[in-house]
Amino acid sequence: GDALLPAPQSISILSTNMKHFLSWSPVVVQGATVRYSVEFQGEYEREYANGSWIPISECSLTTATVCNLTDDISATVAYRLRVRAELGAMRSRWGTLKGFFNRVTTSLTPPLLRVLADGYHLLVELADMGPAFQFRVLYWKKGQESRVQQKVMKEVSSVVHLDTMEAGAEYCVKAQTHVEAINRSSSFSPTQCVRAQRDTSMWL
Amino acid sequence: KILHFGACRVSMSMTEIRAGFTAIKANIQSRDPIRTLSILSHPQSLHKVKSSDRCCITRHLLTFYVDKVFKHCRTEDSFVNRKISSIANSFLSARRKLGQCREQNNCVCGEESTEKFKQILANYEGLNVTSAAMKSLGELDILLDWMEKSR
Repeated sequence: GDALLPAPQSISILSTNMKHFLSWSPVVVQGATVRYSVEFQGEYEREYANGSWIPISECSLTTATVCNLTDDISATVAYRLRVRAELGAMRSRWGTLKGFFNRVTTSLTPPLLRVLADGYHLLVELADMGPAFQFRVLYWKKGQESRVQQKVMKEVSSVVHLDTMEAGAEYCVKAQTHVEAINRSSSFSPTQCVRAQRDTSMWL
Repeated sequence: KILHFGACRVSMSMTEIRAGFTAIKANIQSRDPIRTLSILSHPQSLHKVKSSDRCCITRHLLTFYVDKVFKHCRTEDSFVNRKISSIANSFLSARRKLGQCREQNNCVCGEESTEKFKQILANYEGLNVTSAAMKSLGELDILLDWMEKSR
């Protein structure tokens, strides 16, 4: 039953910010719905469990041509990934991703942030990126680039107070993510600057 | 999280390992009929191990789980198998880092901790292999708590 159904081709993995997706080209059989099943094999399975493969139930007999591997690729080791097509009792050979995938190669994008001036208070709002992410925020008074200050945030709360600003002064902020599990950081976000409110005290 | 084992510092994704274990803990512990016995804590708790011995005994314990325990915990439940794979691969990654550190630092096992590890092996071999493996896996939080205590 294997020979008639071709194995899925163009198998690739897209990994961004520690979210990992396997995708492949559809196997086309006129007038029929082809389904797919995905399996993974970590270094442990290769070396200690006779090269066994583990099915991913969410991607078993699926009609989709993409599978979210994030929950299963949860160790920093080399994984192998494979997918096959199924149509009724027919099953294709396994199509295997060329080489290995290790999450250490995930691409890390700069964090999304919003810098706010609330009166004299310099605030920053960071988009949550999941438990694996820490944030390193750099901030400075414009013109004093040599006196950059830093705040490292292990968890994201909605808005973070960075500093109390001098009246009317402009302050700038940029940030990068860090993922301890793979010991890598993203590049910095574009710099954003805001101005503190002017001094409102009146001489009586 | 950076964990300290004597002279060695190892980054381990404890959050991911604990999440994986918590997801299957009830299932695994329900497969352990002998609740009166402990593999890791009998007769003495891991917390008795001296700080200087932590590096060596941690490496022994990671090896114990990788070599002996996980392979005998395969179940009929695909979800459980996936989580065990996740933990096993994380232990493999951690053991490698600890091994690298061990070569640079003396990671010597004192007499007491050698005895402690022998006791753990004796507890393990005192049961049939599947029961012993399931019990050891069911005690993973004891090990994780002890490892994190070293922070």
